[in-house]
Amino acid sequence: MKTILKFFKYHSIRIAATGLLVVAIGGGVFSSSHREAPLISNDPLADNTDLYAFRSPDDPNTITIIANFIPAEVPYGGPNYYSFGENIRYEIHIDNDISTTGDDIVYRFTFTKTNQDPTTFFNIRLGQENLMTTYTMEKSTDGGTTFTTVISNGTVPPPNIGPRSIEDATLGLGASNYDALITNAIGTATSGEKVYCGPADDPFFVDLGGIFDLGNSPRQNSGGKVRDGLAKFNTHSIAIQVNISSLQKDNKDVSQAVNILDGDFVIGVWASASRMATRTLNTSGGGYVESGPWVQVSRLGMPLTNEVLIPIGMKDKWNSMTPYQDLDSLAVFGNYFYNPELGLYMDDDQFGGAVPGFKALRIQRNSLQAYDFGNTKNGLFGLKGNPALVGTAFDPATFGDLLLPADASPRSIDIWPVFHTGVPNLPPYQLATGKTAGPLSAGKPFINNFLPNGGDMLRLNMAVTVTSRTDPSFSSLGLIQAALLGLTDPAYTASGTALQWIPNMDGFPNGRRLEDDVTRIELQAVGGVVLAAIGLWYDDYDAADTTASPVTNHLLNVLYYSTGVEENDITFKSSFPYVQSPWRGTDI
Amino acid sequence: MKTKNYNTMNALLKPLALILLIVGAYEAFASSHREAPLIANDPLADNTDLYVFRSPDDTNTVTIIANYIPIQLPHGGPNYYGFGENIRYEIHIDNNVTTTGDDIVYRFTFTKTHQDPTTFFLVRLGQQNHKTTYTLEKSTDGGSTFSTVISNGTVPPQNVGPRSIEDATVGLNSTYSTLMANAITTAGSGEKVFCGSVDDPFFVDLAGVFDVGDLPRQNGISKDGLACLNVSTIAIQVPIGMLQKDSKDVSQATNILDGDFVIGVWASASRQQVRTLSSNTTPAYSGSWVQVSRIGMPLTNEVVIPIGQKDYWNSLTPYQELADTILDTYFYNPELALYMDSAYYAAAVPGFAPLRIQKNSLGQVPGFGFNFGNGNKGLWPLKGSAAVAGTALDDAIAGTLLLPDSTTPRSVDLWPIFHTGVPNLAPYQLATGKTGFNPLTSGKPFINNYLPNGGDMLRLNMAVPVTARTDINFSRMGLVQAAVLGLTDPTYTASGTAMQWIPNMDGFPNGRRLEDDVTAIELQAVGGIVLSAIGLWEDDYDTAASPVTAMLLATLSYSTGVTQNDTAFQASFPYVQMPWSGTGKCSGLEMSYTQPAILPPTWTVGITGLNTPKVFVSNYPNPFEDVTTLKYSVTESTRIVIEIYDLQGKLVTSLVDAKQQAGQYQVDWNSSEVEAGVYIAKVMQGDGEDLRNSQSLRIIKSN
Repeated sequence: MKTILKFFKYHSIRIAATGLLVVAIGGGVFSSSHREAPLISNDPLADNTDLYAFRSPDDPNTITIIANFIPAEVPYGGPNYYSFGENIRYEIHIDNDISTTGDDIVYRFTFTKTNQDPTTFFNIRLGQENLMTTYTMEKSTDGGTTFTTVISNGTVPPPNIGPRSIEDATLGLGASNYDALITNAIGTATSGEKVYCGPADDPFFVDLGGIFDLGNSPRQNSGGKVRDGLAKFNTHSIAIQVNISSLQKDNKDVSQAVNILDGDFVIGVWASASRMATRTLNTSGGGYVESGPWVQVSRLGMPLTNEVLIPIGMKDKWNSMTPYQDLDSLAVFGNYFYNPELGLYMDDDQFGGAVPGFKALRIQRNSLQAYDFGNTKNGLFGLKGNPALVGTAFDPATFGDLLLPADASPRSIDIWPVFHTGVPNLPPYQLATGKTAGPLSAGKPFINNFLPNGGDMLRLNMAVTVTSRTDPSFSSLGLIQAALLGLTDPAYTASGTALQWIPNMDGFPNGRRLEDDVTRIELQAVGGVVLAAIGLWYDDYDAADTTASPVTNHLLNVLYYSTGVEENDITFKSSFPYVQSPWRGTDI
Repeated sequence: MKTKNYNTMNALLKPLALILLIVGAYEAFASSHREAPLIANDPLADNTDLYVFRSPDDTNTVTIIANYIPIQLPHGGPNYYGFGENIRYEIHIDNNVTTTGDDIVYRFTFTKTHQDPTTFFLVRLGQQNHKTTYTLEKSTDGGSTFSTVISNGTVPPQNVGPRSIEDATVGLNSTYSTLMANAITTAGSGEKVFCGSVDDPFFVDLAGVFDVGDLPRQNGISKDGLACLNVSTIAIQVPIGMLQKDSKDVSQATNILDGDFVIGVWASASRQQVRTLSSNTTPAYSGSWVQVSRIGMPLTNEVVIPIGQKDYWNSLTPYQELADTILDTYFYNPELALYMDSAYYAAAVPGFAPLRIQKNSLGQVPGFGFNFGNGNKGLWPLKGSAAVAGTALDDAIAGTLLLPDSTTPRSVDLWPIFHTGVPNLAPYQLATGKTGFNPLTSGKPFINNYLPNGGDMLRLNMAVPVTARTDINFSRMGLVQAAVLGLTDPTYTASGTAMQWIPNMDGFPNGRRLEDDVTAIELQAVGGIVLSAIGLWEDDYDTAASPVTAMLLATLSYSTGVTQNDTAFQASFPYVQMPWSGTGKCSGLEMSYTQPAILPPTWTVGITGLNTPKVFVSNYPNPFEDVTTLKYSVTESTRIVIEIYDLQGKLVTSLVDAKQQAGQYQVDWNSSEVEAGVYIAKVMQGDGEDLRNSQSLRIIKSN
C-alpha cells in the first residue's frame, strides 16, 4: 500500500493555459441509436434514434428534452412519407428522486392519422392532406400509474414535400413557408410544457460507414476524406420544454439551487417506444388489429449504448428492459461497460494494431506506473478496502460496491458510472486541479450528475449554468472541454479546488446538447480521458518526476482525436424546438 | 387517299425516329417503394420492383428479379439491411389461363445466425453476424405442395467496406464480386438463383413526382431519388422449357408472338397472421400466412391505386381482382389522367404539359371521334357494332372485359395492359397497314402477351427474340420504341401487316427489362400513346396530313428527366449491379479532415536519428504562454544544436549550439517576440559539421 501512496503523492498541476487545445478541439461522431438492434431496425416507426436534454440557452429557467424516432428518413420518401406511427406509445421518462421507485414523471405521446382525401395517391393535393397526423400528450406524475391528457389533437406538420405541396395556394396547403407550419404546430400543454412533434433535420452526425467498417474512423488512407452518414436525412422529433421547477423533485426553481452542482437538481431522462403485444393481420382486405399489454420495443438514454457497447447478441434484450431493470441485469450487461468491446481496439495487447483509425486512443495500461485499465485488468480494484477510499465515491460505506465490484472490471470506475449512475462531486470525480495527494484527494469540482439508480439514462444537473451558443468557449466536446479548461486555464486553475463555473459544464455527459460531439467524447472516454481528467494520467507521464507535465503526448493524442465529422450538416435554431426544419424533398 | 396518307406518313416519320432514338434515353420512380401506408412500415416485407425478361446472354432462359426492402443506405450499420426471417418471399407464375391460379410458385425463406454475438460489428475477424441463408421451395401444383430445391443457400454479407470484406485478418479476406459470384446457386430443379443485396436498379425522381406531379421538375434539376441506394434482390434464371405450359422449348414456338409462350409473373411477401411481442424473447409468430405485399406491373400501387385502397390492393392476389369491384375504376379513369386533361387539373401540373389525352380521336372520320377523357365513353360507342366483330373488342372473343361500361374510357388500353395483356388482334396491332383510318382493321403485329386472368401481373411472351443490350436500336422505351419503329422505319413499314421482329418488342410492357424506363412509358400510356400506336391518333391529326402530329411528338418526347439507372448493369446473371459499398461514394456527405499526426509517447519523444541518439529533449510547459523550458539529456559528448522553426520552415531562433558532455541540461525559450502557434524545436547532434537530425519536437505557444 505504500507504493500506492507514493504514486499518489502530490504533483502540482502546472499546466499553462492551452488556448491551442481549446481551438483544436472542436471536433465529430455516429447516429447514436439508429438501426442499432436487429429487431427494432425492422420497425423503424418505433425506433428511438437520439435523446437530448439540456438547459434551454434562450430560456434558462427551462429544460428542453428532445426524443427522436425513425432513422434515416429520405426527405423525398413518397408517396407515403415517414411519420409517427399509430398504435405506438412514444414516451419520455424522468427520474428526479432516487428515493422513489421508478419514473417520477412520464410524458406519453400517441398519434392518429387521417386521410382527408383518400381518392388520390398524392400526400397533399388541393389543400387536403393525407396521413395527416395529430397527437395526444398525456402526463403522469405517479410513475405511470395514472395519466392526465395535457394536449389533445396536437398538430404534426405534414412532410416537407416541396413547394407545390406546401406553398402553392391552389394545389397545396398555401402555407407562407414550411417554418410557419412548424411554428403553428408548437403547442402548450395544460400542464405548462411547450411541445413540438414533427419532422426535423436529423441533428446527429457521424461517419456510419467508416465506423462500422471495423472502426475505420477517422477513415484511413481515404485522401483526407470522411463522410457524415446522416447528412440530409430527416427524423421525427418529440421536443418538450419544461420549467426546471416542474422537473426538480421539490418543485424548486433553479434560483434556489445551493450552488451550480446542487445534487438536488439532477434528473435522469430516457425515452422509449412500446407496442401492443399481439398484432393480428386481417386475413382479407389488408390491415391488422393490435391487442394485449404494451411491450417496450425500443429505448434510449445515453447515446450509442446499444449501438456500440452492447454486442449484437444482446441488443434486442437491452431494448426490452427499463433502466430500472439494468441493475438487476448487471451480471449480464455490466461487463460490456467494465470491459467494453471498443477498449479492445485501443489496446496494443488486444486488437489495437488492427484498428489504425483509433491509433490516437490508447487506454492507460500503466497509469501512475501502477494501474492497468486494459480490458480484464484490475484498474483500481487493488485499492479496495484501502483507508484512502474513505470519504470518496469509492467508499463502500457510502455507495456500496457499484464502483469497485470485482477484479477484472477496470472500467467500473468510469465507463459504467458515466452510463448508469452519473458521478457525484466527490473524489476521485473531481479534476486533478488542486489535488494534493493523487486522484483520491479533493480536486476542483466539475460535475455532479449523480442519480445512482443504476439505469442507462441521460443525467443532467439542471443547476449548471448554460454556456451560450455564441460564447467563444462553447465547444462540442462538452465536459471534456470543461475539464481541459479546468486543468489548464489559469482562470480556473488559480483558485485550486474552489467550485467555479467552467464553460461547457452543461455539456455531455452532463445532459446532452444538440451540438455535442458524443461519438468523439465517448470514444475518448473509452480511451481513458475521464481517468486522465481526474489524475489517472496516461502511461507516458512519469509519476516519479515531480517536474513532469501530465499533459503528455498520449493525452494530447486523445484530446486531438476526432472522427472528422464534428458537427451537424446544418445549423440549429436559436429557439425552441432548436432542431432544424426538415429537409425538403425537392431540395435534396 | 386513305393509303396515300399512310405512305406519306412514313416519310414524315423519319425525322421523328431519329428524335426518338435520342430522346429515348431518359430517367423514372421506385415502382413500388413505400407505396402503401402499412407496408411502408414493414420494409422487410415490402416488394419494390419486379423484372421479367429473356436473358440477353442465355436466350433459352428467362430471368425473373423480385426486389424487396426499399431505400437501403449502403452505410446503414450496425444492423445492415437484409431479408427478414419469418417471411415468405414468393415468385408466382401463371402460364395457363385454363388452370386456376398459379402454375409455378417459388418460395424463399431466410434464416439468420450470428457467428460472433460478442461484437457489435457485422463482420469481424472472419466471422459474420446476421449471416443469412435461404431455402428455396418450388411448387408446380398451384402452391398445394412444395419441394425443397435449394437448402442452405448463401446470401452474401452486406458490402460493409473493404476492411470488413477484403482484409485478411480483420475481415473476410475476399472481394465483393467473389462473394456475389460464389452465392449463385443452381437449384435441384435446374434454376440459377441469387439472393442478396444489390444496387437498386430502379430510377425515378421521387421528390418531383410526389410534389403533385412535378415531373420533370419545372423549376430545378430532376434527380434520381433511388441513386446510391441498395435493395435486396431475389433473382432466378429459368429455362423457357420449364416455364412454358407444355414444357416446350422456345424453338418450338410457331412464331415470335406465339400465344402459348405467354407467362404472367407476380411476387409477394407474406407473414404469419399473429405476431406476439414479449419482454424477454424475440417475437413469436403463429397462425396462417397472410399476404402483406405484392407486385406485378410497376407503379400500380404507387400511382394508380389511391391511398385509401393501397393496403387493400396489397392484400389481394391477382386472381381475386376479377371478382373485385372497387379497383377497376382506377384504371378505367386513372387519377393521373386528371393531370393530363385540361377539363380537369392539367393546368395545375405543368410537368405533364406534353401529355394530353385524346378527347376527339379521329374526329374527322365519319362515325368516329372518340373521347378518352376521364368519365367519357372512349370506344364504348362501338360496342356490339359490326366494326368490332372479330376484334379483341368483340364480346364473343374477350367477353365484356374491354368494353364494360359507357364511362370507362381506359378499359381498352390501361386496364388490359395491367390485367390481361393484349392479343395479337385488332385493334392491338400497329396502325401500320391499317386501312380506312380504322384502328379496328388489321395492322402490323407487335405484341401478344395475352393471358386474360384479370390479375395485375407482368406478362411476357417468351417467344419474342431478345434485343441485344449493345444493339444500337436498344431503347429504354421498350414497346413504345418498337411501336415507333414499326410505324416509321421503312424496314418495318414496307412489309405492311406482315409479322416482323422489331427491336424492343421484348421490352416493357412485354415483360420488363432492367433498363426499361417504366415511369416514362406508363405516363405516356396514361397520356394515350398506346391508343395512338394502334391508330387512335391525337386530336390534332388531320387525315390529310401525317398522324405524327405535334401532340404525338410531344407525348413521344416526354421524359421525366431521370432516364436511366445511376450505374451500369452486369452483362450476366444476376444482371443487377453489386451493392454500393458502405464506405464508398454513397456513404454520406463527404468532407475533408486532416488527422493530426500521432505523437510518440512523451517518454521517448521523436527519436528520428539513424543511430542511437545521444540527446533526448522534452519541453515543459507545452503548450506555453511565453516561456517554455527544454530539458534534455546528453548520453555522450557530442555537438548539440537546438533551433526553433515556424511551420513555414523559417528559422526563428537558435537556442543551443555547443559541444556538450554527457549530463542533464535545460534551456528556456522566451517566445514573447513571436505569435502564438505551433513551432518545431529541431534537435541535431553530431561532430563538427556532420550534424544529423535527432529529434523534431512540436511545441505550442498559446495566447
